[in-house]
Amino acid sequence: MPAVKKHRIVDAITLDSIMSKLSDSKRTDGRGLLDYREIEIETNILKDKTNGSAKVKIGDTEVWAGIKVETAHPFPDTPAEGVMTCNAEMLPISSQYVEPGPPDEDTIELSRVSDRGIRESGMIDVSELCIKEGELVYSVYIDVAVINEDGNLFDAVAYAGTAALLEADKSKFTIENDEVKMLEEREKLPIKSLPISTTFAKIGDKIIIDPNADEQEIASARLTLVTDENGKYVSAQKGKPGGFTFEELKELSVISKEKGEEIRKMIKEAVNNGA
Amino acid sequence: MKTNSIERKYVVPGDVVIEGDHNPIANVIKEGNKIISTKIGMAEIAYNGVKVIPLNGTYVPRTDDVVIGKVVEMNGFAWEVDINSWFFGILTGSAVFGRGFSSSKDSMQSQFKKGDCLVAKILSFDRTRDPLMSVSGPGLGKITEGEITHITSSKIPRVIGKKGAMIKLIEEHTNCHLTIGQNGAILLKGTEDGRLKAKSAIELIGNNAHLSDLNDRVISLISK
Amino acid sequence: MSENNIERISGRAPDELRNVSIKAGVIKNADGSALIEFGKNKIIAAVFGPKEVHPKHMMVSNRAIIKCRYHMMPFSTDTRKRPNLSRREIEISKVIREAVQPAILMENYPRTAIEIYVEILQSDGGSRCAAINAASTALADAGINMRDLVAACAAGKVNGQVVLDVDDQEDKTGEADMPIAMLPNKDLITLFQLDGNLSKEEFDRALELAKIGCNKLYNLQKDALSEKYFNENNKKEDEE
Repeated sequence: MPAVKKHRIVDAITLDSIMSKLSDSKRTDGRGLLDYREIEIETNILKDKTNGSAKVKIGDTEVWAGIKVETAHPFPDTPAEGVMTCNAEMLPISSQYVEPGPPDEDTIELSRVSDRGIRESGMIDVSELCIKEGELVYSVYIDVAVINEDGNLFDAVAYAGTAALLEADKSKFTIENDEVKMLEEREKLPIKSLPISTTFAKIGDKIIIDPNADEQEIASARLTLVTDENGKYVSAQKGKPGGFTFEELKELSVISKEKGEEIRKMIKEAVNNGA
Repeated sequence: MKTNSIERKYVVPGDVVIEGDHNPIANVIKEGNKIISTKIGMAEIAYNGVKVIPLNGTYVPRTDDVVIGKVVEMNGFAWEVDINSWFFGILTGSAVFGRGFSSSKDSMQSQFKKGDCLVAKILSFDRTRDPLMSVSGPGLGKITEGEITHITSSKIPRVIGKKGAMIKLIEEHTNCHLTIGQNGAILLKGTEDGRLKAKSAIELIGNNAHLSDLNDRVISLISK
Repeated sequence: MSENNIERISGRAPDELRNVSIKAGVIKNADGSALIEFGKNKIIAAVFGPKEVHPKHMMVSNRAIIKCRYHMMPFSTDTRKRPNLSRREIEISKVIREAVQPAILMENYPRTAIEIYVEILQSDGGSRCAAINAASTALADAGINMRDLVAACAAGKVNGQVVLDVDDQEDKTGEADMPIAMLPNKDLITLFQLDGNLSKEEFDRALELAKIGCNKLYNLQKDALSEKYFNENNKKEDEE
């Protein structure tokens, strides 16, 4: 396919089809407005070099996450806290619309939103990542590769990152005579909660969940909402140059919590099965 | 000695199809005494030469082919149309408005805009320029209704069938009208059920293009 | 040539390849793709093209240009790697491109670009060879005209013994690493690198072993392509 044009162009026939189905509150693949595509989660797929890993498919969108846990010197202003970073990579293998090169604004937004979803929920308690105050802490790296892009990377990246974190383990250390010693034992990461991301798109006056690539392209606005297991809202991002009404935001926050619960169960199950 | 028998076998790039003094026809190269496949496909060895019918690959435009594509770009004097090939097809403003057409994006936009789907004809294509297209002629022009489905372009002949036998079969059993793009895009017009049946028939052909009892399989699939 | 076979860390025989599996057509959006698991290596290659050249001035009027990018994900190595392309990745991108280019009938595609992207998801020694096998399968999967597939494998010297297919652990203590790639149906080696210390005898033996390894990889590529293109139909028949 020749297109190296930056943007996906949804053809008029597909557009008509999407719009006419929406007027019946349906979607072109038979889904209802608030149905996710089939979600597949598999953990422990990169067991030889990672501390934890997960592969997530939402419909045809596919991403792989890998966790690396290393040790590092703490930042001077947080001597008893570990470090966590989250990075998503839009790989050129995933779509004809992705150019190799430094991350563009969409990729950066994806990385930062995924990072905040995990960080703000306190999923990883960085104060429990300290090995020796002022000297050594754990540094947790969450990297996610986008393998095939068909819309809703926000949720796919979030599910893969969190599933991989749940599955991950790290070396255990002890302090003997003021010296850090690595033990043979391994332990899980200090997981405090499992935040779940839900992404909506607005097309005309209809709002759908889990947009595919075509739906995402024609949508006027996009909303990602992240809830934790206590029903608290921990992170949000509106994207695309359109908007939502106050009423819509309130409704979506309710749906986000419900869907979040369902998907939370799915991720926990997948992690248990992979163990 | 002319015979009607054709020897067939599956090949991948680099496979020797046959040795000896044979005529290389398509998707093969001759190296010394050997005819070698350059594609994944079904090799056919006949009295008049050797060719490989590819099972994949993007469409290569040929003059007079009817194709179905979508407008992806336009400037003051031409539209660029994605026809699932190596290059975009070029539809010039003068081809549509006639000679003496003075370029203006507004008049271009009013005719076809980004995203519009077209049935078009390839006017010319060679190694030195992008394919030129035209929408003048019966059955050509903007698509306003229906559904477009895709198949590997090399399998289109099987969708048409011998003297149109397969396409007729599908149309009769599904009550749909099919417009075939040589580039692998097929426009379906009909009821939702009919289109669904037609799509499954086309998918079946795509997966089984090499089988000889394809007609029977398609019939058993869609005559319910 | 030494008769006693020293036991390898991996437990393999001197001429034994790691477990390899190749699957063609794993990325829906790509024109061609392949996933290879080569020992612990997990690598995906995707091909886009032939397509328009950007920027236009890079276009060549009588043939295709080949672009190739080898990139490792941060989680693919023992120590987390920064996402940006390192000098090593840039060099490997070049040698991979130069390894597969001879197989492609570039004159069939004037004024176009063929893009090959290889992503290393897990790396364990010999990734450039694994990458070439994946790229070759992906090119065939994309329907690019090729005069042959490209098969790659490395030989090396570990504990004084010339062996086939050095993994990461062996490479760390090994005395030589010789990755090669070839067009299996022609006498043509298109990737050849050496890192180490080999006598003439060892050099020849390494070449011999690498060739054997390449032939095995060639057959695995053919199997992967047959599985997708020639057997898929049979599978569907069984289902009906």
